Amino acid sequence: MVELLEAVIKRPNFVAFVALFLWGLYIAITHHNLVKKLIGLYIVQTSVIFFFVTFAAKQGATVPILLSNDGKIEARAYTNPLPHALTLTAIVVQVATLGVSVAVVAGIYRNYDSLDEAEILKKLE
Amino acid sequence: MMKHIPAVLFLIPLVAAISMPMVVLRRPGWGRPMTLFAACAMCVTAVANLLVVLNSGEIRYLFGGWRAPVGIEWVADGLASVMMIAVSLLATVCLVYGGSVKLPGSARRLALHYILILLLLSALTGVVFAADLFNVFVFLEVATLCTSGLVAIAGGKALVFAFRYLILASIGATFYLLGVSFLYAATGTLNMADLAQRLPGLLGSKAVIVGLVFMFIGLAIKMALMPLHGWLPDAYTYALDAVSPLLSSLVTKVALFAWIRIMYWVVGAGHDAETAQALRVCWMLGALAAVGGAFLALIQQDVKRMFAYGGVSHIGLIMIGAGLGNQTGLAGSMFYLINDAVMQATLFVLAGVAISHYGVRTMGDLAVLRERAPWMIGGLIIVGLSMIGIPPTGGFFGKWYIVLGALQSGEYVAVGAVIVATLLTMAYFMGLFVRIFASHYGGGEQASPVAPAAEMPLVLRVCVGILCVGILSLGLCSDRIVKVLLDATSSLKL
Amino acid sequence: MIGAHDSVIVLTISRMLIPLIQLYAIYILFFGQYSPGGGFAAGVIFGASLILAILVFGPETHAGAVATKVVAGDGLGLLVYAGVGGLCLIGGGEYLNYAALELPGLSEPARRSLGILLTQIGVGLDIAVTAVSIVLSLSFIPHGEGSHG
Repeated sequence: MVELLEAVIKRPNFVAFVALFLWGLYIAITHHNLVKKLIGLYIVQTSVIFFFVTFAAKQGATVPILLSNDGKIEARAYTNPLPHALTLTAIVVQVATLGVSVAVVAGIYRNYDSLDEAEILKKLE
Repeated sequence: MMKHIPAVLFLIPLVAAISMPMVVLRRPGWGRPMTLFAACAMCVTAVANLLVVLNSGEIRYLFGGWRAPVGIEWVADGLASVMMIAVSLLATVCLVYGGSVKLPGSARRLALHYILILLLLSALTGVVFAADLFNVFVFLEVATLCTSGLVAIAGGKALVFAFRYLILASIGATFYLLGVSFLYAATGTLNMADLAQRLPGLLGSKAVIVGLVFMFIGLAIKMALMPLHGWLPDAYTYALDAVSPLLSSLVTKVALFAWIRIMYWVVGAGHDAETAQALRVCWMLGALAAVGGAFLALIQQDVKRMFAYGGVSHIGLIMIGAGLGNQTGLAGSMFYLINDAVMQATLFVLAGVAISHYGVRTMGDLAVLRERAPWMIGGLIIVGLSMIGIPPTGGFFGKWYIVLGALQSGEYVAVGAVIVATLLTMAYFMGLFVRIFASHYGGGEQASPVAPAAEMPLVLRVCVGILCVGILSLGLCSDRIVKVLLDATSSLKL
Repeated sequence: MIGAHDSVIVLTISRMLIPLIQLYAIYILFFGQYSPGGGFAAGVIFGASLILAILVFGPETHAGAVATKVVAGDGLGLLVYAGVGGLCLIGGGEYLNYAALELPGLSEPARRSLGILLTQIGVGLDIAVTAVSIVLSLSFIPHGEGSHG
């Protein structure tokens, strides 16, 4: 029991990731307002991207940009650059998804005059 | 030169999509011919791709010249090439059909619709060829955005269901990305071939198991595997009739293809006991989907919705075949995947023609077709035979190989599920035919609100004809196609 | 409709800030190889400057109208990116293999660096236009063919 708690407390980034992920999922599923659902979706995606970046970190390492062009390049001095590249791409995908979703929500608002999912579903009947 | 074919196949729809805004600015009428030309060029290139792959083995395309596993690569093996031919041929036929349906809006607005279709095609090409887990994520997301845009173009009700699809599909993609990050954290690589070398020792570790579970959930949302299928019937029913065949035949099938790739080429399922549990989950969910989807199709009143649930049921059948862990089952499921794509396209084309030409939308209106629509009823009969699984149509051979594979691994519950799904499919198709032919379901004269048109125009007849010929030829040439698929999966040593 | 902002302070400060923001975006674009940055960030910052112009000056005035017309270059960035990749194909290498760019007098590392820079310019252009186009299609500002569904 103690070692379980220890393992959790030694990894605060995992705790933060799990909290954000579940919170965002809860918002996306339970709230009725369409824009709040989008915010929940955004939080879920951000939490996964955050998780990606945090496990790329190393103790005592700096950003993955070469400090000097000559001499030996020590991998231990730089954080892992691959998750950073994946993060950039995932952020762009997130922005694109958000853009399309907000456009669809704007269309729904123009058609049904409401942003509440329960009301819209009632109008659809 | 020949080795660049995968990139060319990807670039054709992409370049057409990029240059379309500028072309349409000057000549608005060129949007549709350009899209059709791009789709036909894709067909030709896909056939050339298959010929090259059959002659000289698989093509490994390294983007940017960087060798794997440092660089991103695409792999064009027999499986991917056959899938690409199916995708491009179906896209062409669905585009020919879609162009004949009158779409609202000016030519400039239609150009947006065609741009989305072309981007969807290039994204699907990317998923089929990708040999890198993150590449699959990016292209699946592009496909999701394009699909939701295409569903939303219909306006009105379709907007709500496009929003629902977008949220669900994005959550699915996020789950998939989470799974990829777990696998990366455990092994340090994203390349499929490299992962296949590093994973066998690590399959017991919690990170890998959780990663695979998350990836499965994400892809299951995208392929609409029951019970995660909620978005599919609404999205496909309310999408434009011109666009439904394209969406329903391609999007979920490519996601399933991605899962098959990950299951067999990355995780190396079928070799040891740990993966056998994962495979069992797969085919059990497939069995649930097959029976549940067919059952739900039975109780539908709207024709398009019924066909959408039929699609859900077939995804379940393909999953049964893919979850068996032997070569026969896998080849059978891939063959049935191609068959299902053709069948879904045919069904939605017929449903669209029924709505636009005969005013038939629900089961109650079907009597209108009775003595007026020989081509449509003929097409419906051929598709019905294939969905139920009666030789010599392709559906029979797909189900045959899946059942053979299930018998080989001794999973009799899977065989039972396939049989029950077949019987339920037969039941709802019988329902369709009874309502068309039996005279006590009301006469044709007073049932139609729209004056029934004459026989459908030549273009539509050609589309339906090509699709039905495709179904029959898939059945007649099934031997050769399954042999190609067996060769492609022989490297797995199942 | 969005009109110009009332306060003189806001107008003046924006008039000074917008070129600075754009200059910063170009700096980030070109220095993306040596420090954090690159095409995505540069595009977003450039797009933000154009959105600021639309919001503060309104679409009718000259400054705002320029930003509104930027949306016409919708696919241009993607064309640059795909075009650079296609040039590499023509030069004999794989798609996006910058070492195969047919440029005289450049060594291979220089060619790769130039290729990366060109693709990042394409990306930045595309993202700036996309950001402006998202904002415009969500507000009721007429641009081109009216609202895109």
